[in-house]
Amino acid sequence: MTETINVEEKRSMGVLPSDIRQIAVVFKYDVLKYLRSRRLLGIVAIEALVLLLITALPPLLGNSYPSNSDDFMTRYASFTNLLIVIGATLFAGDAIVSEFQGRTGYLLFPKPVKRSVLLAGKFIASAAAMFLVVLVYYGVALLLDVGITGGFSTLGTESLLLALLYSVAALSIGYLVSAVMKGSTGSLILTFALFLFIFNILDTVLSAGGVKPWFMVSFASGTISDITVSPYPVDVIRSGVGIRGALMSNTYVPDVGISIAVMVVYAVIAMVLCYWFFNRREMSA
Amino acid sequence: MYYIVGAMMNRGPSMTEPIVIEHLTKDFSGFKAIDDLNITVKKRSFMGFLGPNGAGKTTTIKILTHLLYATSGSAYLNGIDVTKDPKHALFDVGAVVETPEFYPYLTPVETLAYMGELVGLSDEDIRRRTKEVLETVKMTEWADKRIGKFSKGMKQRIAIAQAILNEPLIVVLDEPTTGLDPRGQFEVREILTELKKEGYTVFMSSHMLNEVQDVCDEVALINHGKLLQVGKVADLVKSNDFRRLEIKIKQNVDADVLKKVASLSGVSELEAVGPSVFVLSIHGGEDAQIALLLQLISLDLKVVSFKESGVALENLYMSLIQESR
Repeated sequence: MTETINVEEKRSMGVLPSDIRQIAVVFKYDVLKYLRSRRLLGIVAIEALVLLLITALPPLLGNSYPSNSDDFMTRYASFTNLLIVIGATLFAGDAIVSEFQGRTGYLLFPKPVKRSVLLAGKFIASAAAMFLVVLVYYGVALLLDVGITGGFSTLGTESLLLALLYSVAALSIGYLVSAVMKGSTGSLILTFALFLFIFNILDTVLSAGGVKPWFMVSFASGTISDITVSPYPVDVIRSGVGIRGALMSNTYVPDVGISIAVMVVYAVIAMVLCYWFFNRREMSA
Repeated sequence: MYYIVGAMMNRGPSMTEPIVIEHLTKDFSGFKAIDDLNITVKKRSFMGFLGPNGAGKTTTIKILTHLLYATSGSAYLNGIDVTKDPKHALFDVGAVVETPEFYPYLTPVETLAYMGELVGLSDEDIRRRTKEVLETVKMTEWADKRIGKFSKGMKQRIAIAQAILNEPLIVVLDEPTTGLDPRGQFEVREILTELKKEGYTVFMSSHMLNEVQDVCDEVALINHGKLLQVGKVADLVKSNDFRRLEIKIKQNVDADVLKKVASLSGVSELEAVGPSVFVLSIHGGEDAQIALLLQLISLDLKVVSFKESGVALENLYMSLIQESR
């Protein structure tokens, strides 16, 4: 519905921008934040170190590189998860809570901007920073792959796409944590611990109990490296009898289709919950 | 000039005043920080919002600026209920709530550009207004320095600058001089006087009664979340018959003197504040003061000076706060 209002006496300049325009503004200044902060620099430095170690260590230890381009990419893809966890912590871990704890919300929230717009602008900026990190990582790895093996890994490209999807899911979870937590430090630590320990412990415990953790986002992220293995690995379930009774050793492998769905569901649900918490949160202190 | 605005279903019925607060209530888990508050701020007036700590001033301002949600009631800004449509309600509003923090990686120029872009200013308007508002708050020489290491006073001035960047119809200020050194307070007070001259509608909470008396046309007093009184500063001061007086006598102010003075009719809150100085409160205007002076002389007290203690608004404030306890 629109209504015509006589604003002859209005003194204010400008015309209230659309939500889309405001999302672009928030995005622009959040990207500027990443460019000027040490966080982006820090993760790029970690990324460079990881690439250097993976590339330089085999010849230094007297090992040769795999001749197959997909096998070559497997080494790089197996470190992508860690890179994404660090990125989610740095770019999402305190994205919302810092506006409250850092009191910048007193500047931003009284502006004629919806919380959903602020969230969207911030999230897109975080995703852009994360994508930059992941794309540079895979870009360098794929170039090295071409240079060293002489082949181009299509599976490596598929791994990149899964990595980008996992990045979105991880960022969404990071945003949710930051919308719920009261302090920035706690939020950063919880985001990091969630991916590095809590999810992994759950995966391990469920697998040991004979339950395939297909519904865990961390388990689903295993597809990022698994997809570079040809043929795609399958579940291995071994059982036997030991001194203390029956033993079971399960190695579950995530299904690609299900994992994509799981990552999408985590991303969507985490984002919806994040918006709900962020929207109802008050600057009460 | 006509301006099309969507989603204007939350306009109040024939609201012509810039700020209209109606039956506003905020309940924090059973504690009513604001209780059925009603205030109207007239166009181009400068209203002071007074009350002791915990009275509900900041809560009211935070609801007006969409930092808190109201439990019930409405708060119309330019006719649009901020509790229902904050985006449109806040379009023509500039606000400084508490002392906001700024993004440390941005300079004042970049911060103002960010805020200007959010409210829809053109690049040209942002450049022009940035120059103007930085001059107004005397921060031109710091325009391109990162805000991260600015003092509280400097941040407060940048906060005021961003609030008036798009020349909004309404400016909402929450204790703008609190925490500033005397020089900072003086400078902010100068800016407030400037805002008044420029015709902004200002709603300002403050602890500084002299500041309110100097700058504000109108004042609203609240305590325990309820409105005690509202009106023009001059009218309220005039209507108040509560006076705090400071009297200096030639003799020492001992127990005997205090006992005699306390026995005079209408005298309350008597206390010695120096070897030969005491203060007291009386009800009444000039006639009551003349009568008291004559009574003091009749008690053989050699009165050296006899004057009102504190600003008139402070007297009114103290009297109303006392009554509302």
